[in-house]
Amino acid sequence: MHSGSEAPGSLHALSRAALALPILAIPVEAGAAEIGEMGFTILGYKERGLMKVVEPVLWGKARIGETWEVQANVALDIVSGASPEGVSNISGTPVQLVSAASVTDRRYLGDVRVSRRMGELTLGISRSFSEENDYRSHAYGIEARWDLNERNTTLAFGYGQSADSIGSTLEPTLDERRDTREYLFGVTQVLSRFDLVQSTVTVARGRGWFNDPYKFTRTFYPDGAPAFLFDLRPSSRDSFAWLTRYRRHVPGADGTLQAEYRYYSDDWDVRAHTLEVAWQQSLGERWAVRPALRYHTQGAARFYSPVVPRPAPAELSSDPRLAAFGGISTSVRGILKLDGGLLIELTVGNVHNTRDFRAGGNGSPTYPTLQAWYGILGISRPF
Amino acid sequence: MRAWVAVALLACAGCAPVAPYQRAYLARPDMALDASPGMMRAMERTFSAKEAANGGSSVGGGGCGCN
Repeated sequence: MHSGSEAPGSLHALSRAALALPILAIPVEAGAAEIGEMGFTILGYKERGLMKVVEPVLWGKARIGETWEVQANVALDIVSGASPEGVSNISGTPVQLVSAASVTDRRYLGDVRVSRRMGELTLGISRSFSEENDYRSHAYGIEARWDLNERNTTLAFGYGQSADSIGSTLEPTLDERRDTREYLFGVTQVLSRFDLVQSTVTVARGRGWFNDPYKFTRTFYPDGAPAFLFDLRPSSRDSFAWLTRYRRHVPGADGTLQAEYRYYSDDWDVRAHTLEVAWQQSLGERWAVRPALRYHTQGAARFYSPVVPRPAPAELSSDPRLAAFGGISTSVRGILKLDGGLLIELTVGNVHNTRDFRAGGNGSPTYPTLQAWYGILGISRPF
Repeated sequence: MRAWVAVALLACAGCAPVAPYQRAYLARPDMALDASPGMMRAMERTFSAKEAANGGSSVGGGGCGCN
């Protein structure tokens, strides 16, 4: 979690509390000379038998004058290793195939956000980009926040639009587009001196090319010629996501409960629930530890199938991300606060996705179990 | 939309306002709803590329060809 260096009861904490804005990640006044914060984070992620990801991120945010805030991030996403390709039942049962050769892909991404506070209203705009050799995405967003009830309640409204260009290293002539519009409404409510809750609904409407050009399904029949089908998905996707986040500090334990739940559904018939619960325990003035548990369960898309039925349908994908499965992730974060506001955070976690973890059972029989480990190192300081 | 505004107003009705000078605990770093930008991006990268569900907290983030 984002943090500064002050403890409750100090002069700095009281001045921050007086101007506390529940849904802004940057303190309005962290100190007489501090106008912002900058940091560096690096992610290392490794899947068993599959790919590896390294992603360094450089970020910064600052106040300009009394009413303006700017935030910018740049990152490089480096993916290497074996990539899931298609599904084939040549061995008798459908199994996931991976690329024979190790692939390396680099993605450059960044975004900038500018906001201005005008009394009880804050308006913000954002611009983001993501570039890799076979995918480009450019997006912008507009957000408005309205503080009510002596800043105990905040309403948020947002609109975003993205334009994606999809190509393929296997098919140089592929040049497709996808456009997405997003709408957000959220409420943040201070419940008491010790807890607050935020609930946000996001509706997205996507139109264009959704196929994965690297995925295919190959099916052998006991009679007749085998079938081969590239990934074929609908040309639209409408989705709904409802995220609720809760924080409660327990002074007697000097710890804080952090809980989040998200419900997701779309017109591909995917239904998903994601729950994360964490406890951040202070250990003296400088140290804190945060164990966390995340559970995810989802149903399959209506056109998900590891085999090509006869006759072949107009829509079909054997992409395991569209299958029915569940996942459990555990992590622990250590947090160290040093003099001058320097903050060091180290998170280590694992991801275990399997058909057996799906809530209520009925996970997709051919879903390939995913085992992965990750580590995230973050360093930040105010300025 | 009107239903959500009603939910928001109902949520407010049951809560006594907390004055600014009473918000010391709410201003704690571990009470922030968002982690640092770098940490949030790293966590999203870890999970979003392997699940069908995404989004919920912001808009205008764009997409990727993550595999």
